[in-house]
Amino acid sequence: MIDRLLPIVASRWTRLVLVGLIVLGLQTTLFTDVRPFGVVAQLMLLLAVASGVTYGLEVGAMSGLLLGFMYDCVLNTPLGLCSLVFGGAGALAGALPFFIREPSWWLKIAGVAVATFVAELVFPFAMSMVGLGGWVRPRMVLVALGVTVINLVAAPLALVVSRWTLKASLGS
Amino acid sequence: MSAQRRRAIALLALTSIILVTLDLQQSGSTSLVRSIFGTVFRPVEGVARIVTRPVGNVWNGITNYDDVVDENDLLREKIAQQEGAAVAAAASVRLAQELLALNGLPTLAGINSVSAQVIGDAPSNYSQTVEINQGSESGIKVGMPVLNAAGLVGKVTKVFANRAVVMLVTDPEYALSVKVVNTPEALEVGNVDDPDAASASSSTTTTTTTTTIAPSSNIPGFTPGPIVTPSTTPGVSVSVSVPSLTIPSTGALGVRETGILEGRGPSRVPIVRFIDPEQRFGTVLQGTPIVTAGGSLSLAPPDIVVGTVSRVISRLGTAGPVLEIELVADLSNLSFVRILLYQPITESSAP
Repeated sequence: MIDRLLPIVASRWTRLVLVGLIVLGLQTTLFTDVRPFGVVAQLMLLLAVASGVTYGLEVGAMSGLLLGFMYDCVLNTPLGLCSLVFGGAGALAGALPFFIREPSWWLKIAGVAVATFVAELVFPFAMSMVGLGGWVRPRMVLVALGVTVINLVAAPLALVVSRWTLKASLGS
Repeated sequence: MSAQRRRAIALLALTSIILVTLDLQQSGSTSLVRSIFGTVFRPVEGVARIVTRPVGNVWNGITNYDDVVDENDLLREKIAQQEGAAVAAAASVRLAQELLALNGLPTLAGINSVSAQVIGDAPSNYSQTVEINQGSESGIKVGMPVLNAAGLVGKVTKVFANRAVVMLVTDPEYALSVKVVNTPEALEVGNVDDPDAASASSSTTTTTTTTTIAPSSNIPGFTPGPIVTPSTTPGVSVSVSVPSLTIPSTGALGVRETGILEGRGPSRVPIVRFIDPEQRFGTVLQGTPIVTAGGSLSLAPPDIVVGTVSRVISRLGTAGPVLEIELVADLSNLSFVRILLYQPITESSAP
């Protein structure tokens, strides 16, 4: 029984959930008070796209799904909405090596920024599609830009965290 | 794109869409998932709150210091102005409540309430909510109105054992039936001047120069009289102004019209729509008070102060004007709120 459980507990996805809990803790406490440019930093989205940039499309999509689901649990939006958007953003970020083979560090950071900007723009539209209207306004472009700048600054750290979190084996 | 990638994306999309569908159908399983996640996450959040509080304080100290100093000065001045008005207003409110009770009409004083502390803002850019530290254990249920000392703040949208989520009035999803109390022009009965009270200038050995301050009040229906502050200088004539008495004319009591208050997000003020442009109601002016309408289908009991009209946008035809509302409650700086244990019929089926 324990032999079966150990690989699950030691898996990259369990680590992602645990790291996600800590990041979500920071998101709902520190970053609701600290609002650079008047916008809330989106750490869960940052971690999802950083995972995609680091480990590719499938891992990015899966990370986005998991992290988005956790974020959905604390938001007022329908469960699954952030999963969908973050998963898409993770996949988009993970598609970077599809266009550029072995991207350099700054290209990865740029990939994080692009995926963040797209996700932040898509989210209000996704909300509208499930009946939560009123957010598709010019302000959302400013919000997306603000979040993108924050994620651009925090991307190097997020890439390191995601690389460690989703490492296939901690010993490797 | 490889088959594995296609499968991954299809799986992602399907899972998310199923979850969204289940949640929109108000499935019990999604509520259970949220509840279990909340139980696991709260301790982590509690630790994060304690650990990060100093960082947040430093940030606020750096970014908001000047604003706080200015705000303190402004507040001191406002408190001084309103102390006198508040006493008079409290007496008026008491009288009004007694009258309502005497006539068997519902009053806010008759509704039990729970005080709560705001413990968190929305962690998203697309949500106008706050979290409070009281929940179902205190009798709070979904739909209950939330107010602070100034007026309406929002309504409870999610309840857990000892916390709840409050949707603010500014959220685009928020809508509430309100009354526009369009007070007709009060009849200026005239100055009730007492000839013995030195209403005219009289020569004496001292001079009293008077400064008349027109105090303002946010309290609907309460018009404070002018405050006269004499300062005396020897050797000049006396001039004292007597406060005028304002009495509304008989039959010219406030005409009320209902409309729907709608939030429009953090950067835009809420509006009131569907006001009937009928003659009887007259022209809505800036500063007209807005209170909750109440009624069996409303989310809030009647006569909770919401705000005042800041701008009237006229529309052609029978559409009626759209009113922009300046809220009396400062939603950007909520610390303590009061939840009225008032369960509207429309929300009574929710947990």
